[in-house]
Amino acid sequence: MQGPWVEKYRPQTLEEVVGQDHIIPRLKRYVEEGNMPNLMFTGPAGVGKTTTALALAKEMLGEYWRQNFLELNASDARGIDTVRNDIKNFSRLKSVGAPFRIIFLDEVDNMTKDAQHALRREMEMYTKTSSFILSCNYSSKIIDPIQSRCAIFRFTPIKGSQIIKRLKIIAEAENVTATAGALESIVYFAEGDMRRAVNILQASSTIDNQITEESVHEVISKAKPQDVRKIINSALDGKFMEARDLLREVMVVQGTSGEDMITQIYQEVSKMAMEGLLDQETYIDLIENIGKFDYRIREGSNPRIQLEALLTKFLLKDKES
Amino acid sequence: MLWTEKYNPKNFDEVLGNAKAKDEIEDWINAWMVGEHPKPLLLVGPPGTGKTTLAHLAAQEFADSIELNASDKRSYDILLRTIGEASATSSLFNQGLKLIILDEVDGIHGTDDRGGVRAISKIIKEGHHPLIMMANDPYSKRIKSLKTKCQVINIKKVHTNSIIALLKRICIKEGVDFEEHVLRTLAKQSKGDLRSAINDLEIMARGKKSITSADLEVISKKDDIHNIFDSVRTVLKSKNPQRIREAMRVEADPAFILELITENVPREYEKKDEIEEAYEMISQADTYLGRAFQTRNYGYWKYTYDLMSLGVALSKDETYRKFARYANSSVYTLLSKSRAKRDLRDRVADKIGGKTHSSRRVVREQFPYLEMMFQDNDLARELADYFNLDDAEVKLFRSRKIPKMKKTKPKKSSQKDTENKVEKKESSAVAKKEGKKEKEVKPQKSAPRKTKSTPKKSKPSQNKDVKKLAKEKEASNQKNSNTKKKSSSPEDKEKQVSLFSFK
Repeated sequence: MQGPWVEKYRPQTLEEVVGQDHIIPRLKRYVEEGNMPNLMFTGPAGVGKTTTALALAKEMLGEYWRQNFLELNASDARGIDTVRNDIKNFSRLKSVGAPFRIIFLDEVDNMTKDAQHALRREMEMYTKTSSFILSCNYSSKIIDPIQSRCAIFRFTPIKGSQIIKRLKIIAEAENVTATAGALESIVYFAEGDMRRAVNILQASSTIDNQITEESVHEVISKAKPQDVRKIINSALDGKFMEARDLLREVMVVQGTSGEDMITQIYQEVSKMAMEGLLDQETYIDLIENIGKFDYRIREGSNPRIQLEALLTKFLLKDKES
Repeated sequence: MLWTEKYNPKNFDEVLGNAKAKDEIEDWINAWMVGEHPKPLLLVGPPGTGKTTLAHLAAQEFADSIELNASDKRSYDILLRTIGEASATSSLFNQGLKLIILDEVDGIHGTDDRGGVRAISKIIKEGHHPLIMMANDPYSKRIKSLKTKCQVINIKKVHTNSIIALLKRICIKEGVDFEEHVLRTLAKQSKGDLRSAINDLEIMARGKKSITSADLEVISKKDDIHNIFDSVRTVLKSKNPQRIREAMRVEADPAFILELITENVPREYEKKDEIEEAYEMISQADTYLGRAFQTRNYGYWKYTYDLMSLGVALSKDETYRKFARYANSSVYTLLSKSRAKRDLRDRVADKIGGKTHSSRRVVREQFPYLEMMFQDNDLARELADYFNLDDAEVKLFRSRKIPKMKKTKPKKSSQKDTENKVEKKESSAVAKKEGKKEKEVKPQKSAPRKTKSTPKKSKPSQNKDVKKLAKEKEASNQKNSNTKKKSSSPEDKEKQVSLFSFK
């Protein structure tokens, strides 16, 4: 059992990690020296932060890495209590069979400031026995004292050519073929996110094991939040309640994230402008607003309320007929 | 034991008020007892007036009863099955009658409880079982069709004096000294909701020797939703800053107040630009809520309060002189209706996240792709296995159950075979799979027959399935594919032979 391709083909060593050429050599040096400071990996989703952390831990800790590695992801309870108890209990014990212990915490930017402060203290106290690897999307959301205690590595979106190279390796191992156009499309939609790229590849392969541009597009359109065009049209028609109800259904019941929704709204609006359904002035005004609410959502507001507010901006617009 | 349970009426005489309703229910029970089959009962009335109590009292008169309430999922199937089981054991004799109680029928949800109302209609039509249903909202669209088929009994609010009398009795039994006016205030505040009056009394009096007006503070501080709705009404109706600020003095989470204001803005405001402006204020108010939460600096709340109250209030050109029906946020309804679904989503996300080192959020973003992968039987089986998902959890990604692994899959292999002919360059890879497949297939059954009918989708899965096998026996496979490379497709026999020998 090897699971989905994203897991099956997850690089196991630092050598294998794709992209991040500016980071890997420095991490290898840590391995050679047998020592490492606290690390912070920042960067967008799917660029290899977790993969690198796992690979680094294995190489650093050797045979008994599992016993000396603690992984806490954002779904685990990570309030102050967890930081104070679990991490403390793990990190204060001396490592067995490895030079030290490693604690990996992902999505640290989603931890509350209080928990971050508690974490900071733990990082100070157990420097002799443990090292931390923290990962986050935005380092700006991490309190300064933690940032100053870490060597910060900025992971960048993976280059298209590197994604294509990797996809080809996977395709070959899985006995599927993909046309050049198909791979280009995957790269375009993946936006530097290897996880998404591999998922699109595998999903496309379930349609046909000769992957074409068409099958990739089919996957992309199925993976997108649905009903967005309908929501926009209701709002443009002045039927606010209808649009709002549908938005709530999609977000609350189907569980679509605010970030996915706003990306999709942006894409639909762009498409409508290209199709001549919106005049240029309306278009640019809407884009201005989409950007504004996008920022508010990422800042940590309630995505649903922000998107409802965005919908009211469509109310005052008319569609070109 | 809660006082609301402890002082629950033990028989119809003890039920306060609603004398007419009690008579009707007793008549209805008697009709069943003499072998008639009267229409089902539909008890309609506000919360805390005794609908459930009456139904339970009625249940005592029957041999047995079964109850479903709003927290049960009530789709067509579930309703019929549960009730079907109940009826299967009932006999024609009265002593065998099983009473069916359906609480909160107006809460049956459109999509989640698909067909719930239809199922109820069916049960009514068969008419074998005594059935009592309860609903809060007499105007609910969901129970409109039911009303015509039922005997509707309106349960009215309990009169303040009756409530006072009961509260007195409770105080005496519990040995609590009381001042008359305290109980009167309690009774009035409850607005006919007996249950909340008893609850309030219990909060004040439990474990104490006496209650005084000072104890009322405890209760009055506990703001109920009505007070919040009053605040929302003031914000939306008024433009008077003084009154609006006053209205914000309500004990509730600002996020909740904001949610209610948000819900009702478009119910009160009619002009598009008013709605837009109000929402701009709401959006900013919400931004400060987020900042307060993230920084733990709750000083930001003051901006939230001002923006969502004054900001929203001043977004209207003029005050409306109309009656608008305000509502609780549909988000809460959606949340409670979809709880089971969301729990399932989280459970699955946790399982997958555990295997893939990702958080729920990250896993959820991959759901659409997993959904597509799960359409493929073999891959679905493999993934379900890998993530350790049970049948219910697999349902999140595909509606049908994954068919059991079969020893023979002639369809698929034949498909592969035709492809083989067409796609020469693929031949080696396909052949490899082909070969492996054949191993499981009885030789004579093997090749090209049902090619056309094979759905496209089933192909790739097979690859993987086969692939997996292939990996397990790499060496054999290697040789196998090599032999295959040279041979062209029709030589199934040879393939089989070689494979079997390896086996």
